[in-house]
Amino acid sequence: MNSNIPVLKVENLKKSYAGKIILDGVNLEVDKGETKVILGPSGVGKSTLLRCINMLTLPDSGKIWLEGVELTEPNTDINKMRQKIGFVFQDFNLFHHLTVLKNVTIGLTKVKKIPEEEAIKIAASALEKVHIPNTLWNKYPAQISGGEKQRVAIARALAMKPSIMLYDEPTSALDPQLVGEVLQVIKELSTAGMTSLIVTHELHFALEVANELLFIYNGKIVEQGPPEEVFANPKHDIVKKYIASIYSRKG
Amino acid sequence: MRCAEIFGLGLLGSYLPYMLEGVIWTFALVGGGLTLGFAMGVPFAILRVYGGRGAKAAIDAYVWVYRSIPLIVLLFLYYWGIFPVVFGIKLSAMATSILALGTRDAAYETMIFRAALESIDPGQMLAARSLGMTRWQAVRTIVLPQALRIAIPGWTNQYAIMLKDSSICFALGVLEILTRTRYVTISIGSYFIPYLIAGILFIILTYGGTKVFNIVYEKVQIPGLVGGK
Repeated sequence: MNSNIPVLKVENLKKSYAGKIILDGVNLEVDKGETKVILGPSGVGKSTLLRCINMLTLPDSGKIWLEGVELTEPNTDINKMRQKIGFVFQDFNLFHHLTVLKNVTIGLTKVKKIPEEEAIKIAASALEKVHIPNTLWNKYPAQISGGEKQRVAIARALAMKPSIMLYDEPTSALDPQLVGEVLQVIKELSTAGMTSLIVTHELHFALEVANELLFIYNGKIVEQGPPEEVFANPKHDIVKKYIASIYSRKG
Repeated sequence: MRCAEIFGLGLLGSYLPYMLEGVIWTFALVGGGLTLGFAMGVPFAILRVYGGRGAKAAIDAYVWVYRSIPLIVLLFLYYWGIFPVVFGIKLSAMATSILALGTRDAAYETMIFRAALESIDPGQMLAARSLGMTRWQAVRTIVLPQALRIAIPGWTNQYAIMLKDSSICFALGVLEILTRTRYVTISIGSYFIPYLIAGILFIILTYGGTKVFNIVYEKVQIPGLVGGK
């Protein structure tokens, strides 16, 4: 792969629901090995942006490329391309009827047609990366904690060997004491070179993990830059307010 | 002794095996009807939920028609109308009855399974698609296995309903429990005890069959899934 091509490129992405503009021309690029964090108040289109990127939500206009392949091109085999985009949902969405191990192997066996035995090996390695011990492998999602669920969900995406991981508020549905274990895993993966695009409200985490922060407001990226810069010297009023509000809430 | 004569108990002993043989026929009707209903209802429900507008309209029309026609009318319509006149084939009373029970059950099973499909968290589909599954792969491997489990109590109910409805097939002379009971009453000239036995047979079959469904439901339960522990 040509290293000059960004892993992900989004150009002038627009989306509205029932006349309400959610995304109003978003441009962004993520290079190999980079981690970018998207910040912004609730309801400004951060989740919509992520869902548009893997086409779970179809954008109204604009273009998206993954490793140079245009996803928004109608002839692109989107199912094939989605295999390369790891998606982690806010509410985990583990498959309720499958065990932890099966949750991770099913994409490998059904989508990638990898033999069961090999799939288990890949799954084992993915589960190890997210620190899920094999004592949990045969549990069902309802039998494990929220933090464990989200880590299994990360392993499920990771096992597909994606080119990029998209995290949609991965800790928002978790009890406060479980947030740390999930953020730790995401940080470890990023540090190890996993290209990532993360939507989160965890500012400390954003500071630690991001190469660049993107602040979205009213469907547009209103500010972006290295986290230290954005935090130390936010230019846009809304960014100042947002940072202040998060810190005052955390006390 | 007089009492036994009034109720025809003396003769009944010799007719009891004949009546019990009706259980096999009743089971054949119910087994055939439920199988056909399932085989039609599941794909219908999938089309109803995931299909295009045309498929939805066609299935809604099917359900509406079959929920409107009384079973006995359907039996006569199939037996003397649709099959001999329209298709030009003479079906046996038994085959007609299974077709009537099954095509009618399909309408109800479509509704039961549609509700089960729609009760599955949409996030399951999203997660499946995000792994690169096609829509059909996601339905087959993720949504269906969950929905089928959820639908079992609904099907248990359909079993209990069809078991009783199958007695209406006496109208075509199918040798199920009720038909045989009627023959017995005519032969021995007494009604009370034969019909009492028929009633008891249906109670036993309803109870036993429901139990079997419940055991299956328990067996395939998954923790955290609806009805799971």
